[in-house]
Amino acid sequence: MMDLAFSPAQQLLQQSARAFLQQRCPLERVQEVALDPRGFAADLWKEIAGLGWPGLLISPELGGSGGSVGEALALVEELGRACFPSPFVASAVVATTALGPAGGRRARDLLAALAMGERICTLAVPEESGRLDPEALTLPVAAPGRLTGRKLLVPDAHVATDVIVLGRGAAGPTALLLPMDRAGIGAHALDSMTGDKLFELELTDVAIGPDDLLGAPGGGWALLAPAFRLGALARCAEMAGAAQRILELCVEHARGRVQGGRPIGGYQAVQHACADLYRDVESARWLTWEAEWTLTTGRPDADAAVAAAKAYVAEASLRVARRGHQIMGAIGYCEEHPLHLFHKRILAASLDAGDSTGHLDTVATSLGLPRDRPA
Amino acid sequence: MDFGFSDGERAFADEVRAFLRAHPPEGFPPDGTDAGYGSGAHSHAFTRALGERGWLSLTWPREHGGQERPMGLLLVLLEELAAAGAPFGPLAGCLQVAESIIRNGSETLQREILPQIAAGRATFWQGYSEPGAGSDLLALETRARLERDHWVLDGRKIWSSHAGIATHGTVLARTDPASTRSRGLTMLMVDNRLPGLDVRPIRSLTGQVYHYEVFMDGVRVPRDFVMGRPGEGFGQLLRGLDTDRFWGRFYKAPFLRRILGLLVEHVRAERPDDAVARHRLAHAATEIAALRALFRRAAWLIERGLPATGEVSAAKVMADELGQRVLSLGMELLGPSGVLRAGSRGARLRGEIEHQYQTSWGHTLAGGTSEIQRTTIAVRALGLPAEPRARG
Repeated sequence: MMDLAFSPAQQLLQQSARAFLQQRCPLERVQEVALDPRGFAADLWKEIAGLGWPGLLISPELGGSGGSVGEALALVEELGRACFPSPFVASAVVATTALGPAGGRRARDLLAALAMGERICTLAVPEESGRLDPEALTLPVAAPGRLTGRKLLVPDAHVATDVIVLGRGAAGPTALLLPMDRAGIGAHALDSMTGDKLFELELTDVAIGPDDLLGAPGGGWALLAPAFRLGALARCAEMAGAAQRILELCVEHARGRVQGGRPIGGYQAVQHACADLYRDVESARWLTWEAEWTLTTGRPDADAAVAAAKAYVAEASLRVARRGHQIMGAIGYCEEHPLHLFHKRILAASLDAGDSTGHLDTVATSLGLPRDRPA
Repeated sequence: MDFGFSDGERAFADEVRAFLRAHPPEGFPPDGTDAGYGSGAHSHAFTRALGERGWLSLTWPREHGGQERPMGLLLVLLEELAAAGAPFGPLAGCLQVAESIIRNGSETLQREILPQIAAGRATFWQGYSEPGAGSDLLALETRARLERDHWVLDGRKIWSSHAGIATHGTVLARTDPASTRSRGLTMLMVDNRLPGLDVRPIRSLTGQVYHYEVFMDGVRVPRDFVMGRPGEGFGQLLRGLDTDRFWGRFYKAPFLRRILGLLVEHVRAERPDDAVARHRLAHAATEIAALRALFRRAAWLIERGLPATGEVSAAKVMADELGQRVLSLGMELLGPSGVLRAGSRGARLRGEIEHQYQTSWGHTLAGGTSEIQRTTIAVRALGLPAEPRARG
């Protein structure tokens, strides 16, 4: 019989994260960071580094805590519940996962610094098309050589100290690891409605040495794909956590808001909307954890399971956010009300680490319906 | 967290598959229609074959003739049977009645009925709904009065599935004439052969008979053919409600996965370049996967004896509404030929899609409507205030 209980380590992490975030990251703080175009909770990042969170997926030899994927997801679920604004998923999940197997002194030094919270690593992959797809890469990469071009939708470039750049080399997609203060790297803020800090990276005649290669030339996509897959799963956990919190906010509102002489939660129309939120939250959450199990036990269908989870959890969580606005009524339409923060966090997460069209493509192929069929 | 199967469960799944190879579903002509929940058609012979393997009493305590095997094996059995499209229609009803008899039944029922269930020789209809008591079950008017050593039963039940081909009914009746609402109700075990019982078929919109109306006119039920204590029938019904709903729907996810597989084969064969069909099938696959995860969560809670009311009601709502979406998609993908019935020239996928499309419209009504499930989730799982009852 399956066992769907959280491990003692997961429970400890969940409890300490929830207590810390309740105390140190109230929704007013989330709001403040979201509304500031260059917002970043530097103090909180320092504190979570003290708690060891950025080093959760980094091995103990490099100063991390060598935690499991399941522990990282349990933490990210709590981050989603709190709508915690940070580069955690980009740096501590996706970049960290890519750096581990890349090897080399630079990657190891960076991982040690990430574990201490001294550095933050972001990723520069999409270009004009916005697509997360090796076919869409055009930035020419040679090491040694000079790097000139643009990358779009780079998260948290204003606070990142390092960036993984994926471009097109002679041998195929090739990854570079560059410090953000390398001459010729400029970051320009994009104006996103989600409150996430997204940037255009402008690369102008940047000097690239052989040491800057991350992994083998031509091996960039193979290196990053597992990192994005884990990133997709982390975004599922974040969305499920945020959707759970929206449900709690809506139920609290429906219990307390009195109209026509009784709480609106006593009217069937509102009750049934809340019930639909519950269905979406529970199904999204357990599909996420099933995908986690599929991935961490190395099952052959892990790619399809993660893709199915990302597509479903995105749809279900967005449904929760959109229906939540209807339950919450006009007050939820105000900027000062937290509902839109969760809605936009879910929206951003739904588009990160592969959008639903791409993930459904993976699912369709796994069903025996490949995209390009022989004539 | 572990979503996997144990070695024992995997070995048991192999055993079930071997059984299905030896007992192919085609070899069992149905005695009753396939109602589309995923448990296939009603077949007495297949039910008896399951009984011969001991699979109808798999998890019962040994003192009642069971094998005391873990609930995980029952989940495996239902998933494997549903994936194969086997005709195990009566199974969920048998499981539910057996559980109730083991928990609440008189010694007579335990002695007389349990062995018949285990052998696949007893199947059941539910006598709950009445013409004037649907979602408001407590408005029921069926009555039973004790005359020496018999209950004398009068009333009328409706929407009782397979009542015409079952052996017994579990009938909820008011036994305390002074009582109102949830008090004074008793669950009686009624043998279909008793005089005074008149079971009449109701033809459904599928063109087939699944439901029956049952008229009871002075039916004399032996005094100890009672499930639980007289007067406590409703509390007992409520206690078993979550598990009844769970076992009545658990196989819907593997069933929908099987339907999806049929549609994938159809698209591969007949519209291989249809990118929209491909996208919609993938989307349905994600929803079916989420449904299965939700049922597995509910199963885990039930296995540990934890409350699962919200999870089970949410899974039922999702199963039944998703089923309607998947079968509607099926009708669209089959195109104009999709309406042709099994056996008709030009019929696609053996007419299964049109039949299950039609059955799907009953599922959001049966076993507690989707509206009742949503109210249950809101009030019992989320703690929202119950709507006041109308006076009168």
